[in-house]
Amino acid sequence: MFSFTKEQKIFEISGVKIGGQPGNLPTVLFGGFFFKGEPYFDTAKQQIKDMYILSNKTGNPVIPDFFIKKEENLEKIIEFIIKEIPKNKPFSVDIIEPDLKIKTLEILSNKNLLKRTVYNSIHIGTTNEERQTLKKHIPEMAIVVAFNPKDKSPDGKIEVLENSAHLLDKGLLDIVKEVGVKKILIDTAALAPGNYSGAAIAAIPVIKEEYGYPTGCAIHNVVEKSSWLKNFEDSRGIVDVASNINIPVFGGDFAIFGPVERANQVFPIVAWEDILISEYTENYFGITPDNFHPRRKFFE
Amino acid sequence: MSKVKTTVIGSYPVDFDNLEFFKNYSNQNLTSWKNYINVAVDDMIKAGIDIVSDGQTRDPFVNIFLRKLKGCRIRERPEIIDKIKYKESITVEDIKYVRSIIPKKHGLVGLIAGPHTLTCSCVDMFYNDEKELAFDFAQALNFEIKKLVKYVDIVSVDEPFYSISMPDYAKELMKTVLDGVSCTKRLHVCGDVTKKISNLLDLPFDILSHEFKAKPKLFDSFKEYNVTKNICLGCVRSDDVRVETKDEIKDHIQKGINVFDNKIVQLSPDCGLRMLPQKVAFEKLKNLVKACREVYG
Repeated sequence: MFSFTKEQKIFEISGVKIGGQPGNLPTVLFGGFFFKGEPYFDTAKQQIKDMYILSNKTGNPVIPDFFIKKEENLEKIIEFIIKEIPKNKPFSVDIIEPDLKIKTLEILSNKNLLKRTVYNSIHIGTTNEERQTLKKHIPEMAIVVAFNPKDKSPDGKIEVLENSAHLLDKGLLDIVKEVGVKKILIDTAALAPGNYSGAAIAAIPVIKEEYGYPTGCAIHNVVEKSSWLKNFEDSRGIVDVASNINIPVFGGDFAIFGPVERANQVFPIVAWEDILISEYTENYFGITPDNFHPRRKFFE
Repeated sequence: MSKVKTTVIGSYPVDFDNLEFFKNYSNQNLTSWKNYINVAVDDMIKAGIDIVSDGQTRDPFVNIFLRKLKGCRIRERPEIIDKIKYKESITVEDIKYVRSIIPKKHGLVGLIAGPHTLTCSCVDMFYNDEKELAFDFAQALNFEIKKLVKYVDIVSVDEPFYSISMPDYAKELMKTVLDGVSCTKRLHVCGDVTKKISNLLDLPFDILSHEFKAKPKLFDSFKEYNVTKNICLGCVRSDDVRVETKDEIKDHIQKGINVFDNKIVQLSPDCGLRMLPQKVAFEKLKNLVKACREVYG
């Protein structure tokens, strides 16, 4: 285990704290909903409740992450968020199409939801129109995806944060500053196996040491694309769940996991790893765990 | 067909679809650069260029090499953090792809960023010895060229820093780069080389390539020397959006013939075209080809 020499930032959104030195705060879990595009509200309603129960049990904060892929579903998903996510808790909107991102920001602003919004995400595909809209409707927190099509290595991820690998007029971190988002999370952009997928994990300590920003990724996506696991069908789910512990092991702060059906396995396994790391970092580096850390929940 | 060929120095402008890159990532698909290589190569072929390149669309040319060599990392200025070693093909896969899509009558140039230019482009945090660093670059580049020659008709080493500084070990450095390479070898140096001509003529290349259009005084300077090497004549500017007319290019070629006579074997833009709008770059290439055909048949 290790500790970073760079001061580590901790950002808070609606009571959820993310970041810091390994062993300080529990890993925050983003659970993905509606990935396939069609919302399934009845099932999702129960899954969200279950995740909050799991979160209370282990101490790992949860942020529901809502994929919005079709404009026709936008208002319905926002209404669902208003109704089902407690007013003191954050949520994340995960959208790719720039026009839909702009419309979502406008609606979230109209409904006074931006203070609870994690904007997923700012990246090399972020358009000028989107940037202008972000300036007008600033979300409380944004995920910056360090995907660099020119270079998948950890250095390539630094490059895209610094200068967008010259694919945009400025680096992603400067774009964040320009639009006025103060709290950011760095997603190290997990890639398909064979496409340097390990770099997403290796990049976590590199980026935290370089910038001190809260860092994580959706490492489970790599499992989904590991076609060789078809030969081990019984194990695929286990590997998917277990992949998430890479985040705390490498000093990371958040894991975007899915499908949410696996939440009841993901929470305890990540909490288990958080406890191990906390024990070591407290003994060796003097990093005390937060009051809601799984170690406090289960051992004090 | 004339023995004088139209060609390019290297890069070609393309517009990237950043959102498409991201969507591919989001769908966990591998990033492909083929669309952009296609755009560059298609334009060169349509313009009628005899010897095309891969367009160097991925990056500024120095970064293409530094990104893939062990010991370098890309920052605002690339940094040397370990011993330079060749770890994988740099341009070979793109070149193989280009070879597979171009008609057989077209030639292909393999492009290499020169060791001195790579050295001067980096912040050295490891060697503290410019010469040692340059020779390690040269050794690594030699590995790349040896792989490349199976797929190209000529190799072109790009050393723009030679117009500013030329180390006294330049000849040995280039011998290392070109060791065991038997195909036609071109050296491209843009900028003002008027004071470097005697050194350039001494380097182990078959063809010298310079920006004669932007620096016409080079004609007078070269007159002072017994030019034993062949010449790639820069005929259209790569730093000016104005498209030179066919007749203007013909006049320029004639100036070149007056100095170099039959030593001219290639006509090209002054340098890589990546800083120009794509449409402008294409028009420049078209006029270059038309002028070449009228002068040389």
